[in-house]
Amino acid sequence: MKTSDIARRAGRSLRHAKVRTLLTSMAIAVGAFTLTLSLAAGEGSRQYADKLIGSNINPQALLIVKDKAVVGQDSGQSALREYDPDLTTSTQGQTFKQLTQKDIDKIRENPDLKDVQPAYQPTIRYFGVEGDAKKYTSLVQMYDSTIRSETAAGNLPALGTQIGDGDIVMPEAFADILVKNKVAASKEALIGKKVTLTVAKPAAQPTEAEINQIIATEGPAGLAKLAQGETKDVTYTVRALAKQSSLAFVTGGALMVSDGQARELSEYVTKGTASYQKYMAASALVKDGKTPEDVKAQLEKEGYPTQTAKDLQAFLFTIVNILQGIVIGFGVLALFASVFGIINTMYISVLERTQQIGLMKALGTRRRDIARLFRYEAAWIGFLGGVLGSGLAVILGTLLNPWITKQLSLADDSHILVFQPLPIALLILVLIIIAITAGYLPARRAAKLDPIEALRTE
Amino acid sequence: MIEVKNVTKTYGKKQNLFTALDDVSLSIPDGASVAILGRSGSGKSTLMHVMSGLDRPETGEIIVDGEDILKLKTKQIDKFRATKMSFIFQSFFVQANESCFDNVSLPLEIANLSRSKRRAKVDQALAAVELTDKKKSRARNLSGGQKQRLAIARAIVNDPQILFADEPTGNLDSTTGAIIEQLLFDYNKQNGTTLIIVTHDPELAAKCDIKIHIKDGKVQSIEKKGHAADLKNVTSRKVQL
Repeated sequence: MKTSDIARRAGRSLRHAKVRTLLTSMAIAVGAFTLTLSLAAGEGSRQYADKLIGSNINPQALLIVKDKAVVGQDSGQSALREYDPDLTTSTQGQTFKQLTQKDIDKIRENPDLKDVQPAYQPTIRYFGVEGDAKKYTSLVQMYDSTIRSETAAGNLPALGTQIGDGDIVMPEAFADILVKNKVAASKEALIGKKVTLTVAKPAAQPTEAEINQIIATEGPAGLAKLAQGETKDVTYTVRALAKQSSLAFVTGGALMVSDGQARELSEYVTKGTASYQKYMAASALVKDGKTPEDVKAQLEKEGYPTQTAKDLQAFLFTIVNILQGIVIGFGVLALFASVFGIINTMYISVLERTQQIGLMKALGTRRRDIARLFRYEAAWIGFLGGVLGSGLAVILGTLLNPWITKQLSLADDSHILVFQPLPIALLILVLIIIAITAGYLPARRAAKLDPIEALRTE
Repeated sequence: MIEVKNVTKTYGKKQNLFTALDDVSLSIPDGASVAILGRSGSGKSTLMHVMSGLDRPETGEIIVDGEDILKLKTKQIDKFRATKMSFIFQSFFVQANESCFDNVSLPLEIANLSRSKRRAKVDQALAAVELTDKKKSRARNLSGGQKQRLAIARAIVNDPQILFADEPTGNLDSTTGAIIEQLLFDYNKQNGTTLIIVTHDPELAAKCDIKIHIKDGKVQSIEKKGHAADLKNVTSRKVQL
């Protein structure tokens, strides 16, 4: 028999058992639905991560550290470690080796790098806003000129240019509260306002003689002042409000000052302590014409673990892949269950059509063609299930995309479910192959049927 | 020419052994109409199955057109049946869900004919049994007589050399049965197709050129129209007609 004739006959016999065909293919459709959605979500997340990195990080940017654990290359942080004066303990209780000024100087000597900047993390005691009596706490960070920040108000210099020493960038979230507290009429009104940071020098350990002298001259108040240490107020002007964008990497919870100011502040607060001129990380740009991977290899040889933009991308992709793998696992399970459904349905179909098979064999149909007839039926079921499941997934995903985008507060033009025709076509093909495999045993049974037995009427 | 030589067919094993055909020999000339008569269980159906290659006897030869079909491989026998033989059954075995056209088209599909060639042949076969107006109807909507006519159309669409009919009128009333008989004998006469009817109806058998009586797996007698030859007790010898 011709392939097309068998396929048409297979299709017709499925049409004659519509409900059963539909129910059997629904089982496959569930698997197809899950797999299509997970493929779309994986693709969407990867595209989103790509966009995120592409719009935020200069591909030439490097993050240089001293300790592998900082860039996630070494997960053995909980292991017992030898004391090192350069160690610091992070807020999560992990200890890291830090970069020292000597390291920074050494990295700066690298001819392939420019704009090497230690990551200053000055801690302030509090800050105040012009026209507001309240004191607030905040993290202070160095403004990173390699990362694009979106603004809610005010403006920021072009990528790669630092803000001025008198400028400060405030997170939009702070501004919201200040507006609510009626410090300013609107977010825009905050631009140009003065912000004063109060930083404290670490308290020196006074000797007994000094304590006695202070008590004698200034009384207990003087002693309290001594214990508090020396403080300094620095005043800045709000230049911009950093928008909390889902496309921006920088978390919105920190005030940002220029690199020079960050350095000054952090050296003021750490002077005389173990943290003085020690940094978790340094950022740098690879000079044009050099590939970040080469420079990374060179730096790592010198003992500085480095993260490139691509590494960060790979890291994000790993997370996406793991999540996608889990969902795909569920889809595969659903498919696995549907295989038994197909086998069952096909066996019933063979039983029901014993006479037809007998007749076809009596009329000279080859065994192989009988088997093909049933395999094609299975293939149709697989095809139908695949088209139903992925079709439904595409429709539902397309309808849900705007809502998901809103719920996850992604950028307006980004969708987390991206359907691509080729993987869906491949998926349907795989489903057809799975269905045919499931139809193998019933098809063989049909082919082996004895026509005399099948056509016996009494 | 179909020659059956010393064919023995048994079913079961040891104490359950049942001999369906016991050293049967006979020959049927081309274009003849033959009735195989016998009670149920006499082995007449088995003889038909053996002659059409559906069943394989333990011993003997079945020579059709000078070729021993028992020496052919399954695939070749299938092809043989697809191109040279046709069947009509007591219970019609038309595909109830399929249209009349698709029912008749099946043997042509099996024989690998192209779609365009099939159409003309199917139309012709349906016209021969006067079912042209039912071409697109589902077979389940036909009456018993119409179903058997449809089965005849399916059987003749391939221009077979040999047409096997297993109790073709067994499920029909006498009037309808007469129409079916007429169709079969007309086709046999007009096309020179060998017609082999398995039946226990003496009236139907009387219309055939040759009557072969089977009892307990043995040929009891072979009668040729006009001059009956009683061949009782010489069953194990080859009978020349």
